[in-house]
Amino acid sequence: MKTIFDKKYINPVGKSVPKIDGKGIVTGQQKYVFDVSFPNMLVAKMIRSPHPHARIISIDTSKAEKLPGVKAIVTAIDTHNIKFGSNEYFFPHTVDQQALEADKVRYIGDEIGAVAAVDEETVDEALKLIDVQYEILPAVFDMEEAIKPGAPQIHEAMNNIAVILPVNFGNPERIMKEADYVREDVFYTQAAAHCSMEPHVCVGQFETFSNKVTLWSSSQAPFKCREALAKCLKMDLNDVRVIKLAVGGGFGSKLEMHPMDFAAVVLSKKCGGLPVKICYTREEEFAFSRRKHAMKYKVKTGIKKDGTILAMTGEVLADGGAYCSYGPTVIAAAIMRIFMVYKLQHFRISGYRIYTNTPISGAIRGFGGVQSGFAIESHIDLLARGIGMDPVEFRLKNITRPNMVTVNKMLLTSNGLRDCIEKAAAAADWKNKYNKQKHLCRGMGIGIAADVMGSKMYKSHESAGSIVKVEEDGSVYLFTGAADTGQGSNTALSQIAAQELGVSYSRIRCKSGDTEITPFDTGSFASRVTFISGNATKRAANDAKKQILTIVAQELKFNIDDLDIAAEEVINTKDKSVLMNFDKALELCYSFNYGRQIIGRGSYNPKTTPVDFRTGEGNISGSYGFEAQIAEVEVNKETGEVKILKVWDAHDIGKAINPQQVEGQIEGSIAMGIGYSLYEDLKFKNGRVANANFANYRLPKSLGTPAIETILIETDEKEGPFGAKGMGEASLLPTSAAIANAIEDAVGVRIKELPITPDKILKALKEKEQAKTN
Amino acid sequence: MTTLIINKKEYEVNLLGHETLLEVLRDKLSLTGTKTSCQESECGACTVNIDKKAILSCITLAVDVVGKEITTIEGLADGENLHPVQQAFLDHGSAQCGFCIPGMIMSCKALLDNNQKPNQEEMEYALDGNICRCTGYLKIFNAIRAAGTQMKAHV
Repeated sequence: MKTIFDKKYINPVGKSVPKIDGKGIVTGQQKYVFDVSFPNMLVAKMIRSPHPHARIISIDTSKAEKLPGVKAIVTAIDTHNIKFGSNEYFFPHTVDQQALEADKVRYIGDEIGAVAAVDEETVDEALKLIDVQYEILPAVFDMEEAIKPGAPQIHEAMNNIAVILPVNFGNPERIMKEADYVREDVFYTQAAAHCSMEPHVCVGQFETFSNKVTLWSSSQAPFKCREALAKCLKMDLNDVRVIKLAVGGGFGSKLEMHPMDFAAVVLSKKCGGLPVKICYTREEEFAFSRRKHAMKYKVKTGIKKDGTILAMTGEVLADGGAYCSYGPTVIAAAIMRIFMVYKLQHFRISGYRIYTNTPISGAIRGFGGVQSGFAIESHIDLLARGIGMDPVEFRLKNITRPNMVTVNKMLLTSNGLRDCIEKAAAAADWKNKYNKQKHLCRGMGIGIAADVMGSKMYKSHESAGSIVKVEEDGSVYLFTGAADTGQGSNTALSQIAAQELGVSYSRIRCKSGDTEITPFDTGSFASRVTFISGNATKRAANDAKKQILTIVAQELKFNIDDLDIAAEEVINTKDKSVLMNFDKALELCYSFNYGRQIIGRGSYNPKTTPVDFRTGEGNISGSYGFEAQIAEVEVNKETGEVKILKVWDAHDIGKAINPQQVEGQIEGSIAMGIGYSLYEDLKFKNGRVANANFANYRLPKSLGTPAIETILIETDEKEGPFGAKGMGEASLLPTSAAIANAIEDAVGVRIKELPITPDKILKALKEKEQAKTN
Repeated sequence: MTTLIINKKEYEVNLLGHETLLEVLRDKLSLTGTKTSCQESECGACTVNIDKKAILSCITLAVDVVGKEITTIEGLADGENLHPVQQAFLDHGSAQCGFCIPGMIMSCKALLDNNQKPNQEEMEYALDGNICRCTGYLKIFNAIRAAGTQMKAHV
């Protein structure tokens, strides 16, 4: 018999074991939904609005239906005019998008139907034959115009303000008067695209004999997807199956349903159960999926001469586009993160999410924290400079500590922020470089951040479940509802299962993200999977281990509490003697006398308290991760070009389950952060995306990749699996500010508007020169 | 019927003049390892090797590569034995979601077939047509260095 365990992978937690799906990836055999094909499969495309704002008068599909090869056309009637949304539980009024729109379209690309046919050419031909009559309405594209009285009304919301979130503690106005130094800054951030390499794709199939549907979807949250599908199709949850295959990147864009997902299954139903596939083109991906909220972030702070922050106030406007999507939670994340980072007692900030007739803004890696990270961490730098204090010292003076409760009742348990700042500064040689490289146009800047590891934002609970099944031959199957979108959660969870069960990682087979087979899990977002699904998996593995040890104890007449499995062996914990190996123990479980199947189960719901969205009070997460980042840049004064020389990143991740994957997340985040800081910019012209392709939307490429040094700070979070916390997003949050701060250190100009293009730097340099001569 | 030589095997295909190599590989031959991502020569996900050079299959007409040696990601491993580039990507954690990786590996292979010890600049240029949104490229450079050393040892 072929051995299924490799000694190399015993005690895998903390080791850089290869990705569990790595061989499939490097051989091209990994199956993505994009690669799925079934016999008689139809292709479909969405019927989209060409207008940014219009009333639908009529839709005539009769000509298209007669075209040979067209199998089905669906419109809003087929989806029962039911609305779906992403924040149903906490913000029910933001459920504002129909699976297919019936009365009105609100952005260029808004979906009103879909066509399925035998091939793409026929679909394209049919789309031309569909006659939609619109009454064109005035449109508004700019958020500050949209809130003015008399602006076109996009939904029912007054002044197009979909969401207002206040955070209010203490008495900032009064305390501000005691400050030695007060300043106010306004920052602007731009829209950006996720750019997953696999565009949105799904295959829908209706089973005529059972009235059930299956959706193969490139999804970050299959269970969320199932819920929305069932609701809009008026079906029972258990009649809907969502299967996630390998996902070619998501970054937030695949967190929620898209009209295409509804359309695929409804089309399949209408044409008698043939499978229907919808693939977005790259242009559709850019123009009609989701985008990052552009924000205007105004912030005012009063501090003492010694650097103590006294009070802060602010106002945030966010361009939400045509529908709410994950908007409310993005706004919450943009205004509430600061309490995790700085000790603040007097604070008031309001966030407004505004409808415009532009593509929908939604979740994107960082969830509003990238925008607030740029604003707050740039502002903090300016405050430090304002009183002539070193920005590192300034931050160290004001940061949160371990085991503290913040003013809004967040419980920060493990908190390595001080270590992060000090170690990043030491590694970067901050003392000798900051404010000392002016003659070279080189500069150094720092930004810090904290992030939540899961949040109860989707349902009243945030639980994850896992099943660990140990087979007769010693192979271990891990079933998790968590959706690996490429970040490596299947690998990390398999490592956790193997470690807890006491076996080699190579025994684990991981099955994830199938709503009919795997336990429930809310999905991949909020850096939650390692922490929350990891805890569920650890519990499931522990349960399986106990079942095995029960049999061994019975057979050998031991007390089960004196037994454990470690490094592939059952041991007597009292004298560390080896009683039998794992395979022998399994033989015993499945023997004539016992015949006991080993099926462990685990579920975990983090300890949090509800957030009151009228004040911002509540402990949103079961643990918090911390982060400090330093960027060293070189600015060319002639061309305005910024070169990132090196980035140092110190990250409190609790415990690195897989250090190589942790580094990969950090490096990928920083690359994304550099792109967003310097050039990524989704541009619009009259509501239409003007650069919907890779040629005109610049992304970080291999040329000029800066060096990155990662420093992992392990604070051993008591609540985390083996001490781990989540970490997939935090490294993206401080990058823009670290770069902007470094640019000021290099050439003495402050850019408050992303992206920091050469034009903006040259303009600022020119203004600085002029101010000097005047 | 026309014969295409892919991964040292002959495939009889009914080719239409307008069909790209990418369409033929994925839709007609079910060789789905080669990925579709932008279909306009900007991302490199569809990279294959033609006579040891990296080319973009989304802008290459299938009829133009008749008689040439086409290598796709499916043609690199020898059974369970991975090609050094594949092994290096696995060892160095160079893949995350993996969607760009087949194209990335084919670009790396073309580079290393001609130069087993590329310097940083040569690596960056060789991969400039391949977009990876997940990794930030550093671990991919590590894989190239390791694979080059391995390949050099076996020349």
